[in-house]
Amino acid sequence: MKLNKITKVYGKGSLEVPVLHGIDLTIEDGEFIAIMGPSGSGKSTLMNIIGFLDYPTSGTYELNGEVISSAKESILAKLRNEHIGFVFQQFFMFPRDNALKNVASPLIYAGISKRERTERAKQLLTKVGLEDRMKHLPSELSGGQKQRVAIARALVNNPTIILADEPTGALDSKTSAQIMKLFTQLNEEGKTVIIVTHEEEIAAYAKRIITIKDGMITDDRSVVAS
Amino acid sequence: MNIWESFKIALSSIWNHKVRSILTMLGIIIGVAAVIIIVAIGQGTRTKMTNEFFGTDKNAINIFYEYIPPEGEEPTFWMEPELTNEDVQTLAEVPGVKAVIATNQGFGMMVRNDVQGDMQITGVGAEYFSARKIRVQEGRAFYAADNDGLNRVVMIDTVARKKFFKESENPIGEIIDLNGNPYKVVGVYESPIPEQFRNKDNGEMMMPRAVISMMFGNREIEQLSVIASDPEKVSVTGRLAAETLTEKKGLEDGKYTTNSFEDYEKELNKMISLLTLLIGSIAGISLLVGGIGVMNIMLVSVTERTREIGLRKAIGATRRKILLQFLIEAITLTSLGGLIGMGLAAIGTIIVSKLSPITATMSPLIVLIGISFSAFIGIIFGILPANKASKLSPIDALRYE
Repeated sequence: MKLNKITKVYGKGSLEVPVLHGIDLTIEDGEFIAIMGPSGSGKSTLMNIIGFLDYPTSGTYELNGEVISSAKESILAKLRNEHIGFVFQQFFMFPRDNALKNVASPLIYAGISKRERTERAKQLLTKVGLEDRMKHLPSELSGGQKQRVAIARALVNNPTIILADEPTGALDSKTSAQIMKLFTQLNEEGKTVIIVTHEEEIAAYAKRIITIKDGMITDDRSVVAS
Repeated sequence: MNIWESFKIALSSIWNHKVRSILTMLGIIIGVAAVIIIVAIGQGTRTKMTNEFFGTDKNAINIFYEYIPPEGEEPTFWMEPELTNEDVQTLAEVPGVKAVIATNQGFGMMVRNDVQGDMQITGVGAEYFSARKIRVQEGRAFYAADNDGLNRVVMIDTVARKKFFKESENPIGEIIDLNGNPYKVVGVYESPIPEQFRNKDNGEMMMPRAVISMMFGNREIEQLSVIASDPEKVSVTGRLAAETLTEKKGLEDGKYTTNSFEDYEKELNKMISLLTLLIGSIAGISLLVGGIGVMNIMLVSVTERTREIGLRKAIGATRRKILLQFLIEAITLTSLGGLIGMGLAAIGTIIVSKLSPITATMSPLIVLIGISFSAFIGIIFGILPANKASKLSPIDALRYE
């Protein structure tokens, strides 16, 4: 994945607020990246652009050697569905669907049959260690369990990139460590993992730490895995 | 994701908010039920009135005499002109006239063996049988010679045959007594009057009208009507026949005229249509208000589910799919309301039919219209909320508290 001179400006005319000032970033397959920075630095905006939730004001974007030039909503939705698995700080579950259905939900939009959806969701829930919680509603799960469901859901489409926005922000330190171990394991299995965080100890799990300040990359360093 | 998936999501969403959904549907339910009951009652009334007034003979029209007093004078005693077989012949030749029915009435006590009963007697000519499509069950119909030769013959209807004759007996050629005079039975016929209006006790009979005139002292032709060959032109044909007759008789202080059933039927239809329209528009307003209620709730629902929409978008739902999901939800809501309303209307029509003499009928067409119309309301009032939902940006939607 390659970003060239990405800028993002919110608003129009005199109310223009530039958020990103020319980001150049190359992410290889299988990397484990932490994006750090204080709030208001533009790290969330960058994450939204990487995750196709938003599109840049200028600059180009390449995925697997292909330039994504269209900002058409339906194309972005398809890219999200096929290439990105999201994990959010607040988990974001469908409250009336059980864990299995929540995990299977992205596959509905990929047009996959119900039998295969259930099959894949079961496999992934087993992988994140929730094989005995499949029929539970989100309200019956702990925060850590919910985040595992969310990670299983992010994986169900077999995406290129797992994009996690403050995934441990709502969890205690012990559960956070478990979730981060799960991310590490996924990365070791070959997934590209990008985590947006402001916590040093969370960023320490990553192999590459990118720091953003005032819409620019101020630091980009590789670290030896701890 | 196909329509069926959207429909299932819509159903579970409606099910999850049962009370709210039913309250939302209430306007649609009442509207649809009202429209269908009113239309059903209207149709029932129309059918009943039409049957009562026009019987089976919709293209027959009465011709009667109207006295016009000379100008400046008070109406005085007047006599209706005498009508003859020749006049009947003249009317039969008027263009557009298929047949002429000329009758008179008699009333008498019929006696046979130990059985007796009061009988309504219709005096007819030979042309009556084909004109009114009388079915002769046994024996024969009257000939023209019966009228001309003043033959003392009668025909009895099936009810009278049952009363005065045994099943095994052959009534043809039998002599019966009417007001003390003997008459010969030549035929048995099925009465042209609809079954529910027949005299069920004694039945009725027919006689050549000249014989009635002779035996009862009545005028030979008391009622005159023509049957038009084109049912659409009953009024025109009737008026032409009346004018022809007036001219032929050379009348100065009166004329022949028609009282068109068709005009009456038009009035009746107009009245029923007006009533249906009036109540229909009230019901229509109720549907409109119901539709606005649906829109309102859908808008609330979109706001409430902003996060759900954001999440669906994040996991790959396109704008179109979100739009479809909410539109299907609105359509499901209104169609369900329409179905419930239809059920209430079905119960309503049964109650109306039981309690009143009107048979309210729910036609399949109106059921179809009712369901498609409520679905249509779902589309109309669901489009705005669905569009709003589809246009939410996933980032804003996920950030929504």
